[in-house]
Amino acid sequence: MNSKFITLLFAAVVIAGLMVFQATKSSSAKVLEVSDLLGHADDPALKRIRVGGRVVDLPIEYLTEPVIKLTFRISKPGVTEAPTEANTVPVVYEGLKPDMFAAGRDVIIDGKFEGGVLHASTLLTQCPSKYEPPQGPGGAVSTEKTTDYPKY
Amino acid sequence: MAELGHYAQILAWFLAGCGILAGAIAGRSGNEAWLMTARNATLLVGLTCTVALVALGYLFYVSDFSIKYVWQFSNRAMESNYKVSAIWGGMDGSMLLWCTFLALAAAVVAYLVRQYPQRLAGWALSILNVATFFFLTIVVFYTNPFRYLGQPFIPPDGNGLNPLLQNIYMQIHPPSLYVGFTLFTVPYAFCLGALLADETSNEWIRLTRRWTLIGWGFLTAGIMLGGHWAYLELGWGGFWAWDPVENASFMPWLTATAFLHSVMVQERKNMLKMWNVWLIVLTYALTIFGTFLTRSGVVQSVHAFAETDVGEVFLQYLALVVGAAIFITWKKRNLLKAERSIESFFSRESAFLLNNLVFLSICFATLWGVIFPILSEAVTGTKQTVSIPFFNAVNVPLFIALLLLMGIGPMIAWKKATLSNLKRVFLMPTIASLVVTVILLWAGVREVYPLFAYVVSFFALMTIMVEYHKGVKTMQAKDQSYGVGKATSELIKKHRSRYGGYLIHVGVVVCAISITASMAHKIEKEVSLAQGESVPVGRFNFKLDKVSGDRNENYEALITEMSVFNSDTGALVAAMHPEKRFYLAKQETTTEVALRMGPREDIYIALAGWDDNQGKATYKIFINPLQVWLWVGGLIMILGTGVVMIPDKKKLGV
Repeated sequence: MNSKFITLLFAAVVIAGLMVFQATKSSSAKVLEVSDLLGHADDPALKRIRVGGRVVDLPIEYLTEPVIKLTFRISKPGVTEAPTEANTVPVVYEGLKPDMFAAGRDVIIDGKFEGGVLHASTLLTQCPSKYEPPQGPGGAVSTEKTTDYPKY
Repeated sequence: MAELGHYAQILAWFLAGCGILAGAIAGRSGNEAWLMTARNATLLVGLTCTVALVALGYLFYVSDFSIKYVWQFSNRAMESNYKVSAIWGGMDGSMLLWCTFLALAAAVVAYLVRQYPQRLAGWALSILNVATFFFLTIVVFYTNPFRYLGQPFIPPDGNGLNPLLQNIYMQIHPPSLYVGFTLFTVPYAFCLGALLADETSNEWIRLTRRWTLIGWGFLTAGIMLGGHWAYLELGWGGFWAWDPVENASFMPWLTATAFLHSVMVQERKNMLKMWNVWLIVLTYALTIFGTFLTRSGVVQSVHAFAETDVGEVFLQYLALVVGAAIFITWKKRNLLKAERSIESFFSRESAFLLNNLVFLSICFATLWGVIFPILSEAVTGTKQTVSIPFFNAVNVPLFIALLLLMGIGPMIAWKKATLSNLKRVFLMPTIASLVVTVILLWAGVREVYPLFAYVVSFFALMTIMVEYHKGVKTMQAKDQSYGVGKATSELIKKHRSRYGGYLIHVGVVVCAISITASMAHKIEKEVSLAQGESVPVGRFNFKLDKVSGDRNENYEALITEMSVFNSDTGALVAAMHPEKRFYLAKQETTTEVALRMGPREDIYIALAGWDDNQGKATYKIFINPLQVWLWVGGLIMILGTGVVMIPDKKKLGV
């Protein structure tokens, strides 16, 4: 190790550190659940958020004119009670409906929460087909029951 | 057949255990007989793993739905080539494939074992077998692909492969990545093996470099293919989204690239030994870490792999990989003392070191972005996340810095650059780059990053051209009869690794220009059209001619026929057919992108939907400038890697 090596290393660490810090500060989003939004109308802390939720079985509206706009409501995944306006959050997404989008699917939304509405800037639908049930160290040729067996 | 595969796996697992022991004994004692035992065990592991993989392939080929994994990822309607590539459609088969590649890489090392110093070879085989043993443990005990479905009757048809994965690029992208990942195990084994064997010569560095380069070539190809697949299949007009799974393959690529540069400093100047060892360790550790990340469910990703308890096992193995490296480098630190130091900031050594630091910064920023949700939750209690803007904000300027270093590094003098050296190499490229800056400003490129990116790419290209021109002139001075072509081929033959490297750099420049263009000048528009209607986007006019339906045993399709005209001349540019398909087996909709590639721009149309009430089709239309050059640049990089790798006739003794 010599001084020139140390100088370069030090400079690199400081510069990279500052860049990462700055970019994190200006672009990080809070990860929230639907329940964190219920009961809020406007909160400056909800300007940049990511929310994961499940599309509920309430009317889904998809307009292509005058602008392309998808309106739906989400609930917390796993909630069993019937969806109402009180336990779900409305979402507006000005963009194309993803192929996988449907009621019952889980979505990840980046956007802002304003006036009681979640304005999505990106909408990702999680693909259900890639889901595999958890598997344990269960010997080799096991005979475990599969729950996702096809219907005839 | 399932039994054959299953027992082949178990046999391989035992044999790998034997290989670990025999290799370690050979490494300690230098005993020839033990080395041969380790060699034979390793070769047999390669064989038995291959048998297991072929057995799984056969089960897919004959659609044996009594096997759970086959039932999950295949069905009868699929073409047989997709049936076989469904092997890596899910976790279980992917792990077996990975394992087999690893076992085969180890087998190649075992086959060549007599070429290496004996004790080093013993340790290296031992370490390679530890890696295979670990992956076989996963395959046999956690993700066994040969498990039966466990139903009283065999289902008549399977679940089918995700239609998005039924694509030629998805057939070769995962294997290519896995080959790259597994090949990075070999440098790790050589590197720690050399330390354990007290190897003082620099022979192992040459070996490590070669293996890293092959792995790097495959990883580069794998990443490119993944991007190409995303571009063709996903319908959002892009090729890279800084998704955790993409990042997992990108991070080891960064550290491996850093190593391939800094190892030259070690070969030439005997410096940076400790540094290089750690780049190798880091590269290998990142391949394991990436797999842990993507397979454990700790990070959210659109790729959304299963949440399995394999994650914990990977974490333990990661701890072993890094822990062993820390212990061994500490014990053997005397072997890693640098013999020289950096004399000037204006030297190739420091340019290469800077290049390394920038690569590592990009790697660190990427890693930070990936694990930020976990970190922020652990530290502050609220989970936070970063996405594409973060990665671009940090990495774009760093990549521009890299491009600049790419222009400087290979040309600047070793040790200490004199003013005349700087002037001779850089004067022309600098002047030319200034001219290009003015032209770009005049053409309307005013944003800072794109401007810098173009100019710096051009500068790097110019330095290579100046060097190449000089080389050709020298060749022609030696033999007057050489034309430019003959001189070029002689030049490459004589300095294979240098000109192979330049070729890779040319590929990088081409990619950089394409990526800059697509980031800065992409046009993206959502439109709704009735039959007969048309809409202008960019310099084209899009007209919807006809909407029709189609169906076969696999899917139902909505096909729209579009004509694309040049807005200025009115000439027909392309007839395109964006489609929407509904796959019957999986009950899934996919978008079949219509794409017209061209040297100037790609026209990319995704059909978003059809509204029966209004009789209108909705599209997302992209005009992606210079997009095709990204793939061309990727091909040039692979070609360059090939040039470096061609065996030297002299060394083969021919």
